[in-house]
Amino acid sequence: MKVRELGLSGSLPRRSVLKAAAGALLGSAVLPSMAWAQAPVPGGTLRVSSGGDPPDFDLHQTTTYLTQHVGAPCYSTLMRVDPANPTQLLPDLAEKFEVSDDGLTVTFTLRQGVKFHDGTDLTVDDVIYSLNRVKAPPSGIVSPRRGLLGNIATIEPVGAAGLKITLSQPQPDFPLLVSNPFNVIYPKAVVEPLDAEGVGMKRKIVGTGAFKLGRSIDGQLYELERNEAYFGTPAHLDKIQFFPIRGEIERGVALQGERIDACFLFASEAVLTTLREAPGVTALRRPTPTFINLIPNVTQKPFDDVRVREALSLAIDRSAFIATVGPLAGAFYHSYGLLLPGSDYQLSTDEIREFAGYDTLPDAGGDIEANRARARELLKEAGVPEGFKVSLLARGDLPAFRDSSINVASQLNAIGFDASVDVRDAGAFATAENRGEFQLVVHSVAVSGSLPDQILGEGYTSFGGRNYGKWEDPSLDDLYRAQSREPDVEKRKALIRDFQLAFMKTFYHINLAWVGYGAAHSDRVKGWSALPDIYTNMQLDNVYLEG
Amino acid sequence: MAQFLFARFWSGLMTLFCVAVIVFIIVRVIPGDAAMMLTGAGAGVVSEQELEAVRERLGINQPLPVQFVAWVGDFVRFDLGTSIRTGAPVADEIAARFPYTLQIAVMAMVIAVVLGVPAGVLAARFTGSWIDRLLQTLSVAGLAAPSFWVGLLIILSLVTFFRWSAPLFWEPFWVSPIQSITQLIWPAIAAGLRQLALIARMTRSIMLEVLGEDYIRTARAKGLSEARVIFRHGLTNGSLPIVTLIGFEFAALFGSLIITETVFNVPGLGQYVITAIMNRDYPAAQAVVLLLAGIVVIGNLLVDLIYGWLDPRMRLKGKPS
Repeated sequence: MKVRELGLSGSLPRRSVLKAAAGALLGSAVLPSMAWAQAPVPGGTLRVSSGGDPPDFDLHQTTTYLTQHVGAPCYSTLMRVDPANPTQLLPDLAEKFEVSDDGLTVTFTLRQGVKFHDGTDLTVDDVIYSLNRVKAPPSGIVSPRRGLLGNIATIEPVGAAGLKITLSQPQPDFPLLVSNPFNVIYPKAVVEPLDAEGVGMKRKIVGTGAFKLGRSIDGQLYELERNEAYFGTPAHLDKIQFFPIRGEIERGVALQGERIDACFLFASEAVLTTLREAPGVTALRRPTPTFINLIPNVTQKPFDDVRVREALSLAIDRSAFIATVGPLAGAFYHSYGLLLPGSDYQLSTDEIREFAGYDTLPDAGGDIEANRARARELLKEAGVPEGFKVSLLARGDLPAFRDSSINVASQLNAIGFDASVDVRDAGAFATAENRGEFQLVVHSVAVSGSLPDQILGEGYTSFGGRNYGKWEDPSLDDLYRAQSREPDVEKRKALIRDFQLAFMKTFYHINLAWVGYGAAHSDRVKGWSALPDIYTNMQLDNVYLEG
Repeated sequence: MAQFLFARFWSGLMTLFCVAVIVFIIVRVIPGDAAMMLTGAGAGVVSEQELEAVRERLGINQPLPVQFVAWVGDFVRFDLGTSIRTGAPVADEIAARFPYTLQIAVMAMVIAVVLGVPAGVLAARFTGSWIDRLLQTLSVAGLAAPSFWVGLLIILSLVTFFRWSAPLFWEPFWVSPIQSITQLIWPAIAAGLRQLALIARMTRSIMLEVLGEDYIRTARAKGLSEARVIFRHGLTNGSLPIVTLIGFEFAALFGSLIITETVFNVPGLGQYVITAIMNRDYPAAQAVVLLLAGIVVIGNLLVDLIYGWLDPRMRLKGKPS
């Protein structure tokens, strides 16, 4: 058996990997304390504001950061992402893992002596039950991220502390996917009876993390306390308090007034600008795996015609879109291709210019008037009359949906459409979108991580869950699977490029911009760094308050 | 009197039943069901089979009459059900939030009465003067200004001039009465302004009528002090419609608090019901709407009782004229 380098790509000799794992283990145990040795001040309460109450506490079932941010400090995953290098993993509940030569088997070695908050010991059965729960949830339990573990064929125990996972096909990203921050490990004895009731862990937090739930007062406060029986280095903070404050302005005011110490999600640029200028506050924004796409419903005419979809893409001045919607929804970023801005997988300027309308991305040198003239020609060829009425389904409660739709509608009118925006509340929007009762929709697609398998698998396959336009194209799905199983870095990069080139010419999804969420905290808050998604590195066990 | 009370009680029950039917239907005809909101299916990552299983568990795939009978059956046994959104008993969630709503309502009404009645008396006593005109103008403004707008103005003013922002933690009254009153005073003012204006106008109107009566002239002729004439003889005799108004407005106030609580981020029933409706949390939304309707019905019933107590003619007639 040989071992792959923490599930990314390329093969390493077993000895090297074991050394790496040992180093990583040592790093997790020693480096934080060394890094913070100058100043880590034990104790204190970190006051965090979030945008609302977590609707429940079940991380497997949730799709919202509100639940994940409160739960992350209380739970552990098999491995955890290294905040210093998000493509690498550090030990968490597993001390190490090994990948077989054929890439079909991944074996994890669990730590011994780990206890849940209720005092029971962590066992292999807990891990198996939790992973199966994500992959194939019991009836009445939902698993929005089951696709992350969809490649698992079997999970078997190996002795008292080993776990052998057999995959349907090799998947270099698998160790990172299985260690996704939502894939936390629950105690089987607690969760199984609750699953049988169809409730799951919605009202309970029983994890192995550095903090445990102290009290929760709906609408007011969620308080976590340090878990003195934590298996790792004890957390510096005594407590973490989450206060739900819905308005971003109010959250900003609370931070400036030193009534809270941190807020890990801001969208409004106006608020962030104020915070950047505020003394004693660090405010930042970074691209996150959330992208805004215009999606035609290909089951409705004339959007089954690729010329019409191409015309839609040609109509959009993406730079203008980013300049207008960016400050409202945080949609400041763009990518040459389908993957995260700044990633290694971006297409070249020449390549992106090949796709109709994408030359209006910043620095791509396009001419929007020429594009729109071409769009009119395409519509004429497709038999779409001038003044054709189109309706954009829009969700009213989020600027990334609402304001994007308004902007796109006005741009579509520039090529002869008579476009209007159908604004609905979240429930009505979801119903219409899921049933395919729309012509066009502008959707802000938030994916649970930045890996190619997450963004492409969830966002751009026919089976991935974000196929709102109801397209069918087995060749694209095959291209996705081919890149997913390729272990060689360079070969995989080429396959990912092929996928992007093939997908983008279909105009099933027309990418407009990428969202970057902001975060801000008092300068007193140390030991936290922002990663390119809002879910990772939220355990907060290394965070401390200075002064 | 007993017959009158029975009639009012029966009428109240019928009102509540009608409200129950209407709210039950309304929350279900809004597009998007509870399973979809609960599972985040709007993100498109939950299969139709999973949604069906959740609907099955929640019982929302049953025919509407079956669901209605089950809900009413539970309700009459004081079982308000389980919140679809949070999985917690609705009764517990309402119990945690109702005290804040009740406290704001009481404080708003106290402010309205304590300021509104003297303002009305003052305007009537000095009718036609600048005091009267000023108070009339203010009362019209108070009636015209929506409470959410007043709330926003209050918040903006407090933030701008005093760097104030809403408390992170709202102390319950029984834990820290002073702090709780201090925290809730601003929402109470925002909510109570309309009631203050109404009471002031009603008091002025009643007092103008009463102060022209013969017995007031007699009281003055007997040499009683003006204060005694106004408060002992005038206000006491004119209090009936004012008390009625206070009763009705106190009950109606709970409805308007939904917006005020949202503006001030108070974790009361208002915020709760809005979240429930947005998430299609049927049991929670139905229970809160029915509770608010019940408060209005009980408030009206109490007003009728007080009416009878204050005016013996009511007791003799057996029903209001």
